[in-house]
Amino acid sequence: MSLLSVRHLDKRFGGLHAVKDISLEVQQGEILGILGPNGAGKTTLYNLLTGFIKPDNGEVLLDGQSLLGIASHKVVGLGVARTFQLCRPFVGLTVLENVMVGSLGPRVPAVDLEKRAHRLLDQVGLAGKAHAPSELLSYGDLRRLEIARALATEPRLLLLDEPFAGLGSGEIAALSDLIRQLHSEQGLTILLIEHKLREFMQLVSQVVAIDFGQVIATGTPQDIVKNPKVIEAYIGKQDTDYAA
Amino acid sequence: MQLKHIDRGGALVAIAVMAGLPLVFDSRYLMGVLTVAAIYGIWSVSWDFMSGLTGRENFGHSLFIGVGAYAAGFLNTAWGVNAWWSLPAGMLAAVVFALIMGIPTLRLKGPYFALAMLSGAVIMQRLMLIFWEYTGGEEGINGIEPLIRSPLHFYWFVLGMLVLTVVLLGGLARSHWGLILKAIRGDEATCQAAGLNVTYYKIASLVISAAFAGMGGALYAHYQLQVSPQLFAVVTSITIITMVYVGGMSTIYGPIGGALLLTLMTELLRNFGEWRLMVYSVALILILFFLPQGLVAPTWQKIRHRLAGGQP
Repeated sequence: MSLLSVRHLDKRFGGLHAVKDISLEVQQGEILGILGPNGAGKTTLYNLLTGFIKPDNGEVLLDGQSLLGIASHKVVGLGVARTFQLCRPFVGLTVLENVMVGSLGPRVPAVDLEKRAHRLLDQVGLAGKAHAPSELLSYGDLRRLEIARALATEPRLLLLDEPFAGLGSGEIAALSDLIRQLHSEQGLTILLIEHKLREFMQLVSQVVAIDFGQVIATGTPQDIVKNPKVIEAYIGKQDTDYAA
Repeated sequence: MQLKHIDRGGALVAIAVMAGLPLVFDSRYLMGVLTVAAIYGIWSVSWDFMSGLTGRENFGHSLFIGVGAYAAGFLNTAWGVNAWWSLPAGMLAAVVFALIMGIPTLRLKGPYFALAMLSGAVIMQRLMLIFWEYTGGEEGINGIEPLIRSPLHFYWFVLGMLVLTVVLLGGLARSHWGLILKAIRGDEATCQAAGLNVTYYKIASLVISAAFAGMGGALYAHYQLQVSPQLFAVVTSITIITMVYVGGMSTIYGPIGGALLLTLMTELLRNFGEWRLMVYSVALILILFFLPQGLVAPTWQKIRHRLAGGQP
């Protein structure tokens, strides 16, 4: 059975049909990628999966248990953690405290929180900056902090929202390694939204391509890059979208 | 480790000075001023615990103060209950109002909580006038018994309650609980993504804050031996917020200094006659303009670092 299954998910914002009848399955232990141009509905999908917004229709099952109608903080309690596309550190807290807050929910036993946070910072490569104010971190470090805080909730499923956005190539390589390591060494199941195609294709085992809120293709990275619909929706846009 | 000892030493010296002042200067007037300052200290520390830590500003702390004071007044005069029941009764009444105000408004983002607290206090002030048969209208409730006959002993008791408030709320603020409240000030959505029930923590911290404000209200009722609708006045809430800012927001101990400073300043400026309010306002504006972090807590931080030998 798949760890997360999404069935016929639907969400409208007024006249905008942001997510249209999306179905997908995330298998235990895989890295599933979600591909799509800007505004395709990827972040809305994350918000639906994590209870930040409620869908109009459809079903989300984690290990067979419905996540619909469960408050966002309780979804985390069930083992689904997310990062945000724009980094949102707790301003006024140190890097270490930021990570500790991730372990203060009911899912994690409240022992050795500081030690645990130090270990996570070590893992994401922020060990030397534990006592720095979080608002002083560089963009790349903020990404690592986001991931460390998400890991502090001890998730079974990690949802990463454009983790490479705004990073330089060196930082991207390091973060790719970290994601690969979380997957291979800890067996973490990861759902990944990303725009940086090259790194994305190397990381994921399966891809779901989305455009205008709909699934337009599903397959391995090799299949997806040859799919004419994907090329039209995503790669085709590269001609005009210089920023991507 | 050393900084901890310096903090403890500083606190003991401050308590000793506060407790000893009325023994050195034998003046009823000074004792009155210090008693009021200590009660304001309880109010501003309790405000700082909720609003300072979570960043959700409460513009109607006087609601909890007034409710606590009236509960004390009612029990003591209308029902003749022993004065010592006033403190738990004042706390309980304020907690009930914290739940009534907090549950609907703290779920929402935006200014609803601040506005609801502001209007809640104003509405209660009006209700005290409308239901004058029960509340005494403008006159309020008179003839409340003193808690302790000797003004000096009452002052020491109030000081003790202030110390208790700071120890309890300061301890909570340094615990994981306080960390969660500070994280809520940072970003609510990220707190939810960390698995924290943000609404629960906000309401619970308001309840705790209200309990201590209500207790302070009951103490004030037994100091004035009278309660009036003026207790609900917006100006009381604003004064408390100013004390917190001058003392140093979200430090818990700083607001006591702010309360002491502002209460003393009000009294010392009496010589200025009708210029008093203006001098007071200008002094406040200057403090807040040049020291946005406050005056008391940052000053203490500097002193303790110097005492510790310069290391930060």
